[in-house]
Amino acid sequence: MSMHSLSSDDFIDTAPQRRLGRAQLAGIALLAAIGSFALFGPWLVGIDPAAQQLDRYLEAPSLAHPLGFDQLGRSALARLAHAAQLSLALALVSVLSAAIPGTLIGLLAAWRGGWLERVLAAVADAVLALPGLLLVLLLAAFAPGGFWPLYVGIALALWVEYFRVVRAATRILMASPHVEAARLLGFGPLHIVRRYLLPELLPRLFTLMRFGFAGAVLAMSALGFVGVGLQPPTPELGVMMIELLPYYGEAPWLIGAPVLTLFLTLLGLLLLSPEKETA
Amino acid sequence: MNAPDVTPALAVENLAVLHGEQALVRGVSLAIPPGGVLTLLGESGSGKSLLAQAIMGNLPSSLRCTGRVAIAGEMNDAADARSRHALWGRRLALLPQEPWLALDPTMQVRTQVAETYALVGARTDKNGQNGQRGGWRARFADGKARADRALASLGLGDAAHKYPFMISGGMAQRVAFLATHAAGAPLMIIDEPTKGLDADRRGDVLELLRAAQREGMSLLCITHDIWLARALDGQLGVMLKGEVIEQGDAAAVLAAPQQDYTKRLLAADPACWPAPQPAGAGTGALVRIEGVAKAFGQQTLFSGIDATIAPGKIVAVSGPSGSGKTTFGNIVLGLLKPDAGRVTRTPGLAPTAFQKIQQDPGAAFAPRITLRQSLRDLVKLHRLDWTELETLLQRMRLGPALLDRLPHQVSGGELQRIALARVLLMKPALIFADEPTSRLDPVTQQEVFALLLEQVRASGCALLLVTHDDDIVANVADRRIALG
Amino acid sequence: MTRFSSPRLHNTSLNLVRRIAPALAHRLLQAVLVALLVGTLCFFMTRMLPGDMAYRIAAGRYGYDMVTTAAAEAVRLELGLDRPWPAALVEWWGRLLQFDLGVSQVTAQPVAMEIAWQLGPTVRLSLMAMGLSLLIGPTLGVLAGLKPGGFLDRLTLAVSTVLRALPSFLLGLVLVLLFSVKLGVLPAAGHDDHGSIMLPALTLALGMAAVSCRVARDAMMQVRGSAYFAFALTKGLSLRQALLRHGLRNVAAPVVAYLGVQLVYLVEGVVLVETIFAWPGIGHALVHAIFGRDVPMIQGTALVLGLMFVLFNALVDAACAFIDPRRRP
Repeated sequence: MSMHSLSSDDFIDTAPQRRLGRAQLAGIALLAAIGSFALFGPWLVGIDPAAQQLDRYLEAPSLAHPLGFDQLGRSALARLAHAAQLSLALALVSVLSAAIPGTLIGLLAAWRGGWLERVLAAVADAVLALPGLLLVLLLAAFAPGGFWPLYVGIALALWVEYFRVVRAATRILMASPHVEAARLLGFGPLHIVRRYLLPELLPRLFTLMRFGFAGAVLAMSALGFVGVGLQPPTPELGVMMIELLPYYGEAPWLIGAPVLTLFLTLLGLLLLSPEKETA
Repeated sequence: MNAPDVTPALAVENLAVLHGEQALVRGVSLAIPPGGVLTLLGESGSGKSLLAQAIMGNLPSSLRCTGRVAIAGEMNDAADARSRHALWGRRLALLPQEPWLALDPTMQVRTQVAETYALVGARTDKNGQNGQRGGWRARFADGKARADRALASLGLGDAAHKYPFMISGGMAQRVAFLATHAAGAPLMIIDEPTKGLDADRRGDVLELLRAAQREGMSLLCITHDIWLARALDGQLGVMLKGEVIEQGDAAAVLAAPQQDYTKRLLAADPACWPAPQPAGAGTGALVRIEGVAKAFGQQTLFSGIDATIAPGKIVAVSGPSGSGKTTFGNIVLGLLKPDAGRVTRTPGLAPTAFQKIQQDPGAAFAPRITLRQSLRDLVKLHRLDWTELETLLQRMRLGPALLDRLPHQVSGGELQRIALARVLLMKPALIFADEPTSRLDPVTQQEVFALLLEQVRASGCALLLVTHDDDIVANVADRRIALG
Repeated sequence: MTRFSSPRLHNTSLNLVRRIAPALAHRLLQAVLVALLVGTLCFFMTRMLPGDMAYRIAAGRYGYDMVTTAAAEAVRLELGLDRPWPAALVEWWGRLLQFDLGVSQVTAQPVAMEIAWQLGPTVRLSLMAMGLSLLIGPTLGVLAGLKPGGFLDRLTLAVSTVLRALPSFLLGLVLVLLFSVKLGVLPAAGHDDHGSIMLPALTLALGMAAVSCRVARDAMMQVRGSAYFAFALTKGLSLRQALLRHGLRNVAAPVVAYLGVQLVYLVEGVVLVETIFAWPGIGHALVHAIFGRDVPMIQGTALVLGLMFVLFNALVDAACAFIDPRRRP
């Protein structure tokens, strides 16, 4: 709002609201590129990421093998493709496993209210009391190197966000004059959800999912990097980074590839949001 | 009365405000004698706020102005805003709209007044005294003392150490007045002083302005409130679409308006409304209210209310702000349960026979879907007739193109009429209208009210009306329930 | 009536306590929840990790060569590992709430003692990181917000976006590669000397500053366009006076409030950054404990990190209340 307030009837804005800025387009392009790479890469590259050819130790990139070979003679491009697929797939599954239950439970809590809401809110507070990565770490400690603790941990840490946002928005909406008017006119809960709640919630949920996705990819690579997540020889971005770190001097492109991939994925997700959402 | 050689406190010559090539305000010339009052009366969209901003030198950068402005004789090109910036606080003061937003929420009330004394007042002291030359601390101590005195003189002594969010709207207005007046500016522009305040607080606003006048200040008051214009007396200018169409002594203009628009504007004052048609004979009790009481936390809002609402009758609910009029209406509608007593509605009525019209029309529509979609949903739900809705809309003088917009893209008056049409489509037995026109301009207010009454009488449904305005109650209501 | 200093003073301090109590109680409850959550998870860890827990703990105490089945049995009885889990869980909680953190399975030292050594470096790192981020971020943000669309604004937007896409471990990695390998300037890993705190603190600080910069910038723009700022100018204050007296505090309010959100990043980042830079703090100890399956240490370090999180949150709450009177209870 500018500091000079014109009275509202002086100027009524009838312009349509959606507009995709250049940043958003760049973000979509990045994500599309990386997503396609993750989806089709392993199949297109066609090389087994675990196959070792020790005589091709740290071979430089060539036309046939754009990223060359790593210290165990494995195709770096194949490993990257598989790593991207693994990271993104796991992140996607975790986020969905958090978003859907979280939203439904949030809706339920706000709708029914009473003791059920209070209990659920207490549980959410308990989970929120601990930073997410710590929770994932603790769960990873159960089965270090395992895949399940990561997935469960990330989903558990994320569902609370959806619960909180959905519950807060629903509560506000239920008390608002809009819903009061709708109720008086005879509309039922399904209509209210469809016309009032969803348009409010969906943008926020999508934002949460984007940040949740970024966080999930991040958590996995971070844990892989420090050695508590997935273990070598599993191709995973963080694992690759720690494996290739010692060879930075001789073959910088090897560690550069997973670093760049992770960076571009996060950048793409970040660019999707219009500047106003610092979330 | 004004000797021609007395320098006016404010003189404006041929002022125009332009947006590109389009003139939003044009050809305005006026003068305020020292110690005098000029009221600019107009509805929203008339350009009166823009005019005030142009005089202040405060226009948004996309607008420009031409003409001349003279403050206490110092003539300036209107476009030269910077020279007027230097006058802010010392020669020219502004009391903005909704002054509770103009106070820093993180600073104590007393400090906000004191800082003007200390920082602005010390530099030019109109009495010729040298003010407090001693350092910063001394000036602030002095400022605080003077602030305390000033606050006490307006009855705000207790509020001195409070923060703006703890005080009422009227109190905030007085604080803002003191804060902007502290440096002793002899000319003050007052922008819509009654906007956002409850109608029963208007007396306080008038008292504040009269106190300012008694101190010898010259006032330029911008308002849409005819009552205030009448009470302030002095000079009056009526604005429409960026031009001052009528100007003169307030008493003369209000008694005998020359222009059509002015006549319409004055006729929109509820005190001047024509006598209503007699009510139809309604028998029986639609709603019986017995011994109803409600409390809000510790405070009892009302208790022991008994009333009967017969079909076709208009019942007004009145009372000071905070007395629970909206709550009462919600209880009658069945949205809330009373703490004591009961409300009996005639059995056999459809669940949608009780409808509500809200004070803020935007709050009654789903904000993110078009109006057409909202209405279609309703028609589909109750299997109603779309053509009936179209007839109603026509009767409300609403164009069909409006329906394709989102609620916030439509003006308040139009939205309220759409809400009314929607409610009438449900063929209600009782409509609870909660201050349905208080957010609208006077002329629009009269139109909407007339429509409401016409429809209510035609369909024979009862109306439970919440209003602050005693004139409306006297003119329209068959009965009155007084709360608080 | 006779012994209290004055009835009014007694009233106001009682009032203060009454007002603060709910907020404090909330944080205390959170602390208890953290303890229970961490404790419960670690309890189940002892039951579910592969290998015989009692044997491994005994081996940890006496050395793998010296351990006997009798020793393992003794440990089993001591830790109640033979009992059904509900009762054992309650006993575990009891020990936890009495601050009995047990003994490390790797070093055979009391966990509490180990943590006491590690707490200092972690706290220093956190405070340094927070301080640096507050120095860099909001300052640049306020300057950018004063001229929206200007050079500084666009520069900070670009840099902030890039930094936000570099998670703390990646940023730390990049900084290590840049500074120590290329320029040979700062030591890559090390202990408690002033030089080596810079890289890890900077890693965390840059990540936080990237966000707080934009928060401050948005806040500055909002304040600049607000009705109260305009009023300050129209009542005669100069731009500088208005900025200092009204602008700063109102910008500080959302920035400090956002610190609370950033605390999550800080605590998570501390774990990662300490591991990368081999900074001898609690985060580093946690990761090592996980490697070594040292459950008492896992519990102790996770607990301390969690409680630190709650404490920092409470401090941010207090700071918010101090700055913004609307947030006072």
